[in-house]
Amino acid sequence: MRRIAPLFGLLAICLLIVLLQFAIGAGIVDEYTVPRPTAIAAALPRLLAEEGILTRFLTTVAETFAAGAAATLVGTGLGAALYRWPLMRRSFEPWVAVLAAAPLVLAYPLFLVLFGRSSSTVVVIAFASALPPVVLQTVAGFSAVRPVLLAVGRSFGLGRAAEFRRVLLPAALPSVFTGLRLALMFGLINVVGVEFLINLGGLGALINDLSERYDLPGTWAAIGFVVLVSVSLFTVLDGGERWLQRRR
Amino acid sequence: MLSVANVTMRFGTPADGVTAVDDVSFDIRPGEFVSIIGPSGCGKSTLFNIVAGLQPATSGQVSVEGAAVRGPHPAVGTVFQEESCFPWRSVIDNVAFPLELAGMPRGERHDQARHFIELVGLRGFERRLPSELSGGMRQRVCIARTLAAKPRLLLMDEPFAALDEQTRLLLGDKVLQIQQTLRQTTLLITHSITEAVQLSDRVLVMTYRPGRLKRFVTIDLPRPRTAEVVTSPEFGAAVASLWADLREEASRGMAEAGG
Amino acid sequence: MAAILLLGGWQAMALSGLLFRDVVPPLGALAAGLWNVIADPTFWANALITGGELLAAVLIGGMLGVATGLALGASHVLSAAFERWFTWLGPTPKIILFPVLILFCGVGPASKVAMGAVSCFFPLVLSTAAAVRGVDPVLLRVARSFRARPWQTVLKVYLPATVAPLLNGVRLGFGVALIGVLLAETKLSNQGVGFAVMQAYARFDMPRMYGLLIVVVGFAAAVNVALGHAARRAVGATSKKET
Repeated sequence: MRRIAPLFGLLAICLLIVLLQFAIGAGIVDEYTVPRPTAIAAALPRLLAEEGILTRFLTTVAETFAAGAAATLVGTGLGAALYRWPLMRRSFEPWVAVLAAAPLVLAYPLFLVLFGRSSSTVVVIAFASALPPVVLQTVAGFSAVRPVLLAVGRSFGLGRAAEFRRVLLPAALPSVFTGLRLALMFGLINVVGVEFLINLGGLGALINDLSERYDLPGTWAAIGFVVLVSVSLFTVLDGGERWLQRRR
Repeated sequence: MLSVANVTMRFGTPADGVTAVDDVSFDIRPGEFVSIIGPSGCGKSTLFNIVAGLQPATSGQVSVEGAAVRGPHPAVGTVFQEESCFPWRSVIDNVAFPLELAGMPRGERHDQARHFIELVGLRGFERRLPSELSGGMRQRVCIARTLAAKPRLLLMDEPFAALDEQTRLLLGDKVLQIQQTLRQTTLLITHSITEAVQLSDRVLVMTYRPGRLKRFVTIDLPRPRTAEVVTSPEFGAAVASLWADLREEASRGMAEAGG
Repeated sequence: MAAILLLGGWQAMALSGLLFRDVVPPLGALAAGLWNVIADPTFWANALITGGELLAAVLIGGMLGVATGLALGASHVLSAAFERWFTWLGPTPKIILFPVLILFCGVGPASKVAMGAVSCFFPLVLSTAAAVRGVDPVLLRVARSFRARPWQTVLKVYLPATVAPLLNGVRLGFGVALIGVLLAETKLSNQGVGFAVMQAYARFDMPRMYGLLIVVVGFAAAVNVALGHAARRAVGATSKKET
């Protein structure tokens, strides 16, 4: 039963979609709120041909990776620094935690004033939102390295730099990767969110456009497309994370 | 070779503290295998950390080959109680780690590492990751890694503590073999009497809190020894005499712990 | 802690310098902006609306999420069939659903509640399912050995054993619900704190915008800390002692 359960789940969801199609056809569900699934599917080629969804996709992906890569690099560096200097950690970590819990994306009007309605605004907001969780994750990762591994390093006479490069970093690699995953996740959420809110650039703006034109099947299709993008991104990242952890 | 002189280690404040190691002195001659046994909580591991240079003593001095120990000494190799393989390195890269630090080229260090892998009986497992090995095999990788640095003094802190009884006996055999081929000067810390008697030339008994040296016992069993040595009457006599000493300390420890 | 004060003082110097003319106001103007926000009755009216929306969102999204999570956690089959869908949808940006939610719920507060509830739903499903599965099987065997009835097992074992991870789930859910509600308000609304931020932006009233942001960040941090603290206390009470 457990073997075929995923298949069963897929079937159940397909059935739901078919039911929805008939419910709309029968007038139980309002067609002007939820378009027919077939209409949504039919809208996809139109998005490809007329709305340039692929270019928009590339814009969103580029912005996400820019923000995510920057947040991973800076966040891992800051995390390592906080781990290295306990006094700094004691004074700053609570503030980083506050920022991680704060709805930083709400400050987007502020960034609009700073950077104008441009791609850099989108990237900077996504970077700022992704940074605190990455820092927290990295500090936790370094702190979780088993002390005996550090003792081995010291028993072989490793200095600070060699200890970091040969013991700390490889030992904490899975959590650094988790940091990357977090960075891309927060990056994507905020990039699409801000694109939608300020109606600029990639997929988020496309959804905003389509909905303002009351193009319902198009809106739903674009939403489906974004979900697909994010699902495939995280499937790849999860796979990488599990592979790294299995080596432990 | 190794000289420990009046080493004392106190934790906490002078008014309200614990003396883990109290005025311990002993020497180890080159080629000698010495074990320190004592009940849990007698400060064996603290003494180990001090000798390994991982922790400074409150007072007293440790010197290796006449030079005072102030941090990990290059002539001293350490094997830890806990699992300490680098999980991201294959067996051969774990063993070659100290050689890599010394800047030895890859081919050469792998050749040398292979020799030590064979010595601990892990031939054929060079490319495996530690997560693919059993606990006993991983501990053997750690022993090989320490030996690869060619230490003149080998320190082992209960290296078999985390293993089951059978693996323990087999690994003890392995250590005995290595000891006989390399004539490796070794200080082993353990709480197992049979292990200590089977392997050592001399056994030091420590007291429970504060950790002092209670007695030196010379083990006069002939070498080379094998696992069969445990059945000889001399072995039985040595174990019985040590057990009498230890029982007193262990029961004192249990009484103090309120258990 | 002293270092924090030092940091504050240093930052004050950096900010009062003329880095970006109007965008980085000196601390005095910031404090004035913050005070103007706190002393302003319309802010509290907006805060009340946003707070109400948030509460409704967390209640609705949270209860649905916990119920779904319980079902997934208790049944291997359901979990194998459906949990991956929730895991996949978890990290997708939820704000893109807002246009659709407006169609369902109109432009009023209901669509903001829906936005928050949708955001809050996913983290709670996943953390509840994980929490239920994380219950030590020994405890369940104990309950069975005492012939506890199913409802007793839920009440006396599952619930106390999962309080801590559940509170953590609520903490995560609260955070994303707050973001969902506020962003929805900035997009399309004529009331609420998100709307107030947009108003300040439109009037280029930077001190007021900072004031609003500080209040929001402070509120989010306070709730986060409180829930985190409660979760830690629950861990201390329910988990085995460390050895």
